[in-house]
Amino acid sequence: MMNNLVDLVLAFLLLSGFGLLGSSRLVSCIRISAAQGIALGFLILAGNFGALSLRVMLIVAAVVALKGFVFPRLLVRALRESETSREVQPFVGYVGSLVIGVVILIVSFWLGLKAALPVASSLMVTVAFFLFLTGLFLIIARKTAVNQVVGYLVMENGIYTFGFAAAGEIPALVELGVLLDVFVAVFVMGIAIYRINSTFDHIDSDQLRSLRG
Amino acid sequence: MIFYFRELLLPALVLMPVLLVPLSRLFRTARGALWFGFAGNSLAGLAGCGAIVCVFLFGKIYAAGDWLMLDMLSAWHLAVLLLITMLCSLYSVIYFLRESQAGKFDLKTARRYVMLSLGSLSAIVLTLLSNNLGMMWVGLEATTLLTAFLICLNATPTALEAMWKYLLMCSVGVALAFAGILIVAASTSAAHFEQPEFLLWSRMMESAGQLDARLLKVGFIFLVVGFGTKAGLAPMHSWLPDAHSQAPAPVSAVFSGFLLNAALYCILRYVPLLDAALGGGGWAGGILVLFGLVSILIAAVFIVAQRDLKRLLAYSSVEHMGIIALGIGLGGLGVFAALFHVLNHSLCKTLSFFCAGRLDQKYGAHDMRKLTGILKTSPVWGTGLFGGLLALIGLAPFAVFISEFLVLKAAWDKGAIWALALFVTGLCIVFVGVLRHAIAMAWEDAPHGMERERIRGLELFLMALPLATLLTLGLWMPEPLNSFLTQAAAILGGK
Repeated sequence: MMNNLVDLVLAFLLLSGFGLLGSSRLVSCIRISAAQGIALGFLILAGNFGALSLRVMLIVAAVVALKGFVFPRLLVRALRESETSREVQPFVGYVGSLVIGVVILIVSFWLGLKAALPVASSLMVTVAFFLFLTGLFLIIARKTAVNQVVGYLVMENGIYTFGFAAAGEIPALVELGVLLDVFVAVFVMGIAIYRINSTFDHIDSDQLRSLRG
Repeated sequence: MIFYFRELLLPALVLMPVLLVPLSRLFRTARGALWFGFAGNSLAGLAGCGAIVCVFLFGKIYAAGDWLMLDMLSAWHLAVLLLITMLCSLYSVIYFLRESQAGKFDLKTARRYVMLSLGSLSAIVLTLLSNNLGMMWVGLEATTLLTAFLICLNATPTALEAMWKYLLMCSVGVALAFAGILIVAASTSAAHFEQPEFLLWSRMMESAGQLDARLLKVGFIFLVVGFGTKAGLAPMHSWLPDAHSQAPAPVSAVFSGFLLNAALYCILRYVPLLDAALGGGGWAGGILVLFGLVSILIAAVFIVAQRDLKRLLAYSSVEHMGIIALGIGLGGLGVFAALFHVLNHSLCKTLSFFCAGRLDQKYGAHDMRKLTGILKTSPVWGTGLFGGLLALIGLAPFAVFISEFLVLKAAWDKGAIWALALFVTGLCIVFVGVLRHAIAMAWEDAPHGMERERIRGLELFLMALPLATLLTLGLWMPEPLNSFLTQAAAILGGK
């Protein structure tokens, strides 16, 4: 029963990755990443159902609260206040992104089979790699700062999934991963305080040349 | 008695700078706050000297339930770090006071600078002293967060863009390194470490035979790419020229002079672990040689095309990080050479950034085509920059020449002819590329109406100390330094 639930959540995580690659509105990207954060919490709960300890509960609480509610809310607010475009502004188009998503999925399946880590299901490793690479792709291929933060969150979700797949019983290490969220906090702060809209558009091309090569 | 003292020394070293931070609130002028920053750095320097002497006399020091450790390798890096931060904090007094005369620097910024620089000093010391690989990662993550705000001390659009790029790239790097540590942790499952001993470097070294070698290899690749991003190894270096050219000069000096080395140090800790687990060196070294050579060659190409002085210095850092990685990767004599190169590069890079910063203030530009006649207009910093650039490209009497020559010799001894050829090619390109600019800056006519600057004692001291040290070490290696380096190299399986 629990295994079915794990598979269901993993399938949702895969689909949400494609949702991020294909969606054109920033607000829906943020919503999908929030849903992903909550799903991640379910995954950790379901994966450790036999041995639910206080430690696992606390991690789940922290992950769901931060990724599911706090960061999305802050990002939406930053988006509203910075009065920038609500569009994603991709360097790579939506269809291209989806094609790359399929390629990433194939590579992840291959890595999941190849890695042969000491884990319960190799599907978990596949999903971890898929989220990780998708996040990385979103950071590189999207122009707006908010979207890059979403990409970073997705990448982090991959690392969490991996951490619980490969290293579930490892003491006091997965908790350290929560520190990665400090970066997200700083990103959001950067957007809110310094009004960073997108990586390049606030600088005219003349100045841009000075930061090249 | 002395035993307890040593137990307390390491936690004190980590905590002291950050505990001094609130005191910076007491100062009512920018000058006072900056001098306080220097005092704090000097205090840390004194404590660090004490710790290093202890290691020399009594061997490794463990503290805080073995979570902190100071051995010869970390002591060497600590020594370089404290030397560089002391020089930089002294220089920052001169540099920022000049900025405040120009109205670009006030008390608030001064306090922020002192707080952030003392905080990041604590974080770097934590990185160096951690025996726990997880804590080491935490230290490096903290340096990334703190130093990001140092880049945009003056919040200009270009500085903000550089800060954003730095944060984004290095946070991805740090996340990759975290994945690497997770994999390394998974590789220890057969050794059954329990909580307080878990992920302790010294314990893992003792039972390296029980680690899963295949997982360790996968983890190492993640770690090299992750920490390598922060260390500025190509091709993950693209944040570096922006951050180094946009940050204020004292910050760039610390960035180039030591922050990169701190990230590289994290990679170095895993090399003996892999060598021991794989039963024989070579595999991890090979990866480092690859990244080292790529860094040297990519940096060489960009140096030739460069017109901006600070960006040139930044690319030169990529090159020198490559040389250090190459030396470590080659093993044997190369490890000794690489560790010696850490000091040499840090000294001449900080000196060059000092000069670039002050000349920037005088000329109002760091475009090398505008910085002409520097020897005449600014006898102190002009000479410093010219000497620093000559030292950086490895001209003969300076110590950089010796360490680069030793890396060459290590490659020759190992029969790595390809590595040798590529390394020499890179060095030659850099030599010509930098020398062309250096000669033009030194002897072309100065812009019209540029006055000759007065020579001040403190400025002369800051310029002459690194240059004289580089010259002395190039001609004569003191015996204590030699044994220090040899013992540090032995930890990495060197000569």
